[in-house]
Amino acid sequence: MMFRPTRMAAVVAAVALSLTGCAAGGETSANESSQTLTLGTLMAPKSFAAADSDFANVSPFYQAVYDTLIRMEPDGTLVPMLATEWKYNDDKTVLTLKLREGVKFTDGTGFNAEAAKQNLERFKAGTSADAQFLAALKNATAVDATTLELTLSAPDPAFLGYLSKDASFMQSPASFGNADIATNPVGSGPYVLDTAATVTGTSYAYKTNPDYWNKDLVHYENLVLNVYPEQTSLLSAVKSGTLNGSLIDISMVQEAEAAGYKNNAFEGNWVGLMLFDRAGTTNPALKDVRVRQALNYAFDTKALLEAVNQGRGTPTTQVFPPSSDAYDASLDSRYTYDPGKAKSLLAEAGYANGFTLQMPSTPLVNASIFTLITQQLKDIGVTVETVDAGNNFIADLLAAKYAASYMILEQQSDWQLINMKIAPNAAWNPYKYADPKVDDLIRKINVGTEDEQKTAAKELNKYIVEQAWFAPWYRPQNSFVTDAKTNVKLQTGNVYPYLWSFTPAS
Amino acid sequence: MYRFVLRRLLSGVLLLFVITTVAYVLLYAGGGDIARRIVGPTATDAQVAMKSSQLGLDRPLLIQYWEWLTKALTGDLGRSWFNGQLVSTGVSSRLSVTISLVLGAVIIAALISVVIGVWAAVRRGWVDRLVQFVGVMGFAIPGFLIALGLVSLFALNLKWFKATGYVPMTTSFGGWAATVTLPIIALSIGCIAAVVQQIRGSLIDALRQDYVRTLRARGLSFNRVVYKHVLRNAGGPALAVLAVQFIGLLGGAVIIEQIFALPGLGQITVAATGQGDIPVVMGVVVATAAIVVIVNLIIDLAQGWLNPKVRLS
Repeated sequence: MMFRPTRMAAVVAAVALSLTGCAAGGETSANESSQTLTLGTLMAPKSFAAADSDFANVSPFYQAVYDTLIRMEPDGTLVPMLATEWKYNDDKTVLTLKLREGVKFTDGTGFNAEAAKQNLERFKAGTSADAQFLAALKNATAVDATTLELTLSAPDPAFLGYLSKDASFMQSPASFGNADIATNPVGSGPYVLDTAATVTGTSYAYKTNPDYWNKDLVHYENLVLNVYPEQTSLLSAVKSGTLNGSLIDISMVQEAEAAGYKNNAFEGNWVGLMLFDRAGTTNPALKDVRVRQALNYAFDTKALLEAVNQGRGTPTTQVFPPSSDAYDASLDSRYTYDPGKAKSLLAEAGYANGFTLQMPSTPLVNASIFTLITQQLKDIGVTVETVDAGNNFIADLLAAKYAASYMILEQQSDWQLINMKIAPNAAWNPYKYADPKVDDLIRKINVGTEDEQKTAAKELNKYIVEQAWFAPWYRPQNSFVTDAKTNVKLQTGNVYPYLWSFTPAS
Repeated sequence: MYRFVLRRLLSGVLLLFVITTVAYVLLYAGGGDIARRIVGPTATDAQVAMKSSQLGLDRPLLIQYWEWLTKALTGDLGRSWFNGQLVSTGVSSRLSVTISLVLGAVIIAALISVVIGVWAAVRRGWVDRLVQFVGVMGFAIPGFLIALGLVSLFALNLKWFKATGYVPMTTSFGGWAATVTLPIIALSIGCIAAVVQQIRGSLIDALRQDYVRTLRARGLSFNRVVYKHVLRNAGGPALAVLAVQFIGLLGGAVIIEQIFALPGLGQITVAATGQGDIPVVMGVVVATAAIVVIVNLIIDLAQGWLNPKVRLS
């Protein structure tokens, strides 16, 4: 069946994107009128309820209808949105925000500190995949109508950034109990969802909010967000000029460019092996750092990048992105492909005859990747037992069912990345592996001065690479294409450009 | 007649019950950790547990099924676990898209098949051989390949039709036609190939019957004999094939809808099955099973109209 691989590739792309919050990007253009912005996405939002909202790939769906307290510029700078100013106390555990006056939700309810407090509390208790963004929030108090005081259980360097994302989507408190809130959002954002013209799961139509408080952020009368779970149809939509912009799979960039689209490329993920079981709980071999280093030496990352991602991307040994303070370019040559070296490291560790490593596969990922892993590790004497985890791939990984696995993950801001992949309680540290030196560095990054934070981050990254906590291969390129009528600014820290970053080309 | 319809409807309800039960059990067994999938990979175990109990997934299968069934009987198919939409709204709005595709494809297939089938059966010789050859090709080439070819030629290069998307008929008939024409053609080709063969075969048989010679001897024109008498006799088996094709097209539409990004049943079926969105899949199962039952009933009635021998008193 010729159809299957394409479909699968699409699903895989979508999964990777959703997991990592990063996706292929591409900008497309061409619409009948610059009054309507039509964008392609790979997945539809789940519930429109702010407390259950998500971000990353689905961010535009929500940004159209919900304002956040703080706004992030494309370069990562935080600027006022519904909060006009904010200040931490000295030990960074109390954040006081001044809120904008006169903002109304589209149902007429006024926005105030009480509404903000309730939204934050609901998000923290809700079922959003990002609910842990507010894990540090101990207490929210509406001091008066325009003053919100947030008490944190411990300083969180990423907290302000979270308030520019789904964690602070502001939904009208009067709509909290609405039975149809999952499909009919009520916010104060630049657009209103046109439920009559929307086909849930496929196409979402928005009309401009006539009473929006910040006209500077609105560049189009109407907004249409189309969902293409299938890459073939996404490519057709791009080639026929239906879309002004879309994230697209890297394999389609050439065709999109041929159709007159501009390729805005970016790297936001890393691909490789996660070596979870560093204590050797289920696979004793992984306890030895030399074994983990051997696994780093085993992969010909340049060839893999060529084979899997058409050479579009950059080989790396680090999970931190180049934009991070922790990044050190010299580390990228720490593990140059060397099967001989890998074998001798294994021999030193007492595994001269190799060992067996069980890893999961999933139909959601291009099957050739698992074949390549098996081949490359066989070359150094490691036998891979591949277990089909099906749709439970992610769940099984997070439940510590496998000592190691292939994965593609987002490279977020340092603090977010540490808490997602490195800290003892991080979701992607399922064996809860802890190392006193790592804990100490994390503490410094959390509470140190700016300089101390930077030094500690660098040291942490170097230590993680040296200890071979992961075996990264490369950062794959993603691409957002835009048509000739549309300009876009890519967003730091998010796979999908923010809605107000799209402007008509003059 | 009424007893016949009633009996078929009753067996249809029974069929519906069996299908939904089997579907529910299968979905449940193959569902994996649905709550985890809904809340996402980074959610805490407490969040997963909360979602699980919100959806009632922590209860025994039989109790969950019973609750679904009793609500379904009152017309309440629940809400999607993933996007919160009412299943009845989601399925019915998408059903119209799929039905307009499938119905369009069947009607076009029926008309074209009759013309080509008669042509081949009457002319025989090279015409017949050509029709047979093209017919086999139509069978052999998968519908999605035809769809991709059509998109590339008529939508991307010639720009006669839309490559993706859907415009409801009520919004603009022209827009609707521009969006559904290519999908309907892609769907109907395999169907035409099947029905032409059937019509051709039964027509050739029927043309050899004595009554044809008798009618001709009485001075009836050849066309009149073919279209009024022979075709009616040959139509029964063709109708049966068409019915099977109709149901098959519901499946074919799944892929075609993906290629053309049409908001039909196929699209949510694929998405909902992959996610384990049981309420939506069940809604689709109910809708599809109901269509199958109704189509079969209509075909049975049409057979009776065509051929008095199968008419029931």
